[in-house]
Amino acid sequence: MTVPLLAIHGLQAAYGKIVALKGVDIEIKPREIVALIGANGAGKSTLMMSVFGRPRANAGRIEFDGHDITGLSTHEIARMRIAQSPEGRRIFPRMSVAENLQMGADATEGTETERRDSLDRVMALFPRLKERLTQRGGTLSGGEQQMLAIGRALMSRPRLLMLDEPSLGLAPLIAKQIFEAIRTLNKQDGLAVLIVEQNANHALRLAHRGYVLVNGLITLSGTGAELLQRPEIRAAYLEGGRH
Amino acid sequence: MGNERTPPGFAAALKKASLSAFVALILFSLMVGVRTEAGPTGQLIYWTRFGELAGLVSAVFAGSLILELLRSWFGPLDTGKFIPAAADGPLKLAQRFFPLALLIFTLIFPVIFYEKRYILDLGILVLTYVMLGWGLNVVVGLAGLLDLGYVAFYAVGAYSYALLATTFGLSFWICLPLAGILAAFWGVLLGFPVLRLKGDYLAIVTLAFGEIIRLVLINWQTLTGGPNGITGIPRPSFFGIPLTPGDDGFAARFGLEFSPTHRVVFLYYLILALALLTNWVTIRLRGLPIGRAWEAMREDEVACRALGINITTTKLTAFATGAMFGGFAGAFFATRQGFISPESFTFHESALVLAIVVLGGMGSQLGVALAALVMIGGFELFRDFEQYRMLVFGLAMVVLMVWRPRGLVGHREATVFLHHRTEISAELSREGRG
Repeated sequence: MTVPLLAIHGLQAAYGKIVALKGVDIEIKPREIVALIGANGAGKSTLMMSVFGRPRANAGRIEFDGHDITGLSTHEIARMRIAQSPEGRRIFPRMSVAENLQMGADATEGTETERRDSLDRVMALFPRLKERLTQRGGTLSGGEQQMLAIGRALMSRPRLLMLDEPSLGLAPLIAKQIFEAIRTLNKQDGLAVLIVEQNANHALRLAHRGYVLVNGLITLSGTGAELLQRPEIRAAYLEGGRH
Repeated sequence: MGNERTPPGFAAALKKASLSAFVALILFSLMVGVRTEAGPTGQLIYWTRFGELAGLVSAVFAGSLILELLRSWFGPLDTGKFIPAAADGPLKLAQRFFPLALLIFTLIFPVIFYEKRYILDLGILVLTYVMLGWGLNVVVGLAGLLDLGYVAFYAVGAYSYALLATTFGLSFWICLPLAGILAAFWGVLLGFPVLRLKGDYLAIVTLAFGEIIRLVLINWQTLTGGPNGITGIPRPSFFGIPLTPGDDGFAARFGLEFSPTHRVVFLYYLILALALLTNWVTIRLRGLPIGRAWEAMREDEVACRALGINITTTKLTAFATGAMFGGFAGAFFATRQGFISPESFTFHESALVLAIVVLGGMGSQLGVALAALVMIGGFELFRDFEQYRMLVFGLAMVVLMVWRPRGLVGHREATVFLHHRTEISAELSREGRG
């Protein structure tokens, strides 16, 4: 059994009095894509954000590569080379695409060569960004902004990439490109990925394993293919779950 | 707000103007419509002034109508629309050389106006505000932290120099860095309590901070001299040589005939050097990770954190850097005036400097310099109409914000050019691999 890259034990988190996570256990092994699916308000984004210490865990323990990161501040956690493309992308709209990418590399230590390597990889992964390097981030289309958010996250040469709803609001074709890029990253570089999605079909097909989060608790887990076959998943998130 | 909206027609303009007139009616009905005064026996007497009220309301109505109609005819001002393609090249060239031309002009300014003391003094005043604007630009324009109490750091710098120089007899050149350091220290002190505040809340606390400093200066009589201020602040020396008529003075040493203008010219170049230092440091910082972090923080604090940026240090360095430049400017102010009192450091100054930054286009160095020139120069032009100065100022502000909501120079210069570098590196590697 391999040592997990990220291990979350009994994580509880709340926004004031509203409890969002009621004791969640998940694990991500190296070189693994893990999908976290669930309905609106199930606590998916909260889980991702509380790995970064916002909101802070009320109880439980988060370990990254064997180190306890539960009490660290957000920027310290990010500097352990956990990168995220947050909900709503949150790119810097008035800064150029190149500056956005540079921001991803600024806080992590690395040589100029390493930075150039990461940039070349991002450009290879998302050629569309290359044409837009001097453009302001805010002028990009939704899909390009998502690519930029992922590219920015990759500039820190992360060991774990966390994506919050990368397909939200994108045309199916663009969403497919994004998922394809994630698959490539995982295959080529062995990057571990945690993907939070409402688009369960896409996410489970992409992922090696998946977890289903309902009202702050993990109710099901298994390989992507297994979960896709489960009738309750199909009913809740694939056929019946279409809004 | 209304950029993508189609231009409204006459009816819509009429409706908007009526609404403005209605608001004006409510506002002015008590402010202008009714005049109250204490009667001869102390009772309240009042009389109505409906004529003036009607005049004001119709002025608001007409102004609003004209504004709306102009807007719908012109559409949002887009310079590209008015400028033919042929003029584009020379215009770009002019844009590139304009800052350089401006710099050369400021350098030879004292030579041109050597005989005109008033204009030289005005130049010094404008440059002081350019420097203050550039200093505040770090905090407001780059880091996006709305600071309404910037005058506090100006005051700290001025009092630091005044007290150090009058009590310990230290020279200006030793006090200048000390004043900057002390102001930066107060910047950090202000930064800590407001780390978690944003927008309006931050503005209120910084406003209070500015007032606290001023009130302390007024009330701590034993140290600051209270409302009487500090007099007899030493004038700056030309690197140790005093600018006095005596035998060891500047004029005598350099074999010149003594003239009081020497000091004015020296002060002019001093503030010019300080301002250019501010500008140079800011431009350099913008290209470094810390400057980029300031700008990114202005855009999205949460995203910054997630990228591993330490927001605490980023905010504190922004406050400290801005405050330090304010402190330098304050020390200069003290040595120029020779006398300081809390009266020079009111909220009005903070508002003026903030207006310069906002009008100039937040974050634009050239814009801030132009705005300082326009505002301070404009104030001097309208000195004869002192009563109406603020009115004209307010009107100019409204007009500018309607037509150029991003400020005089809204354009933002990018600091990272990955494109060229990667192209070169790609070419090199191709060559290397054959």
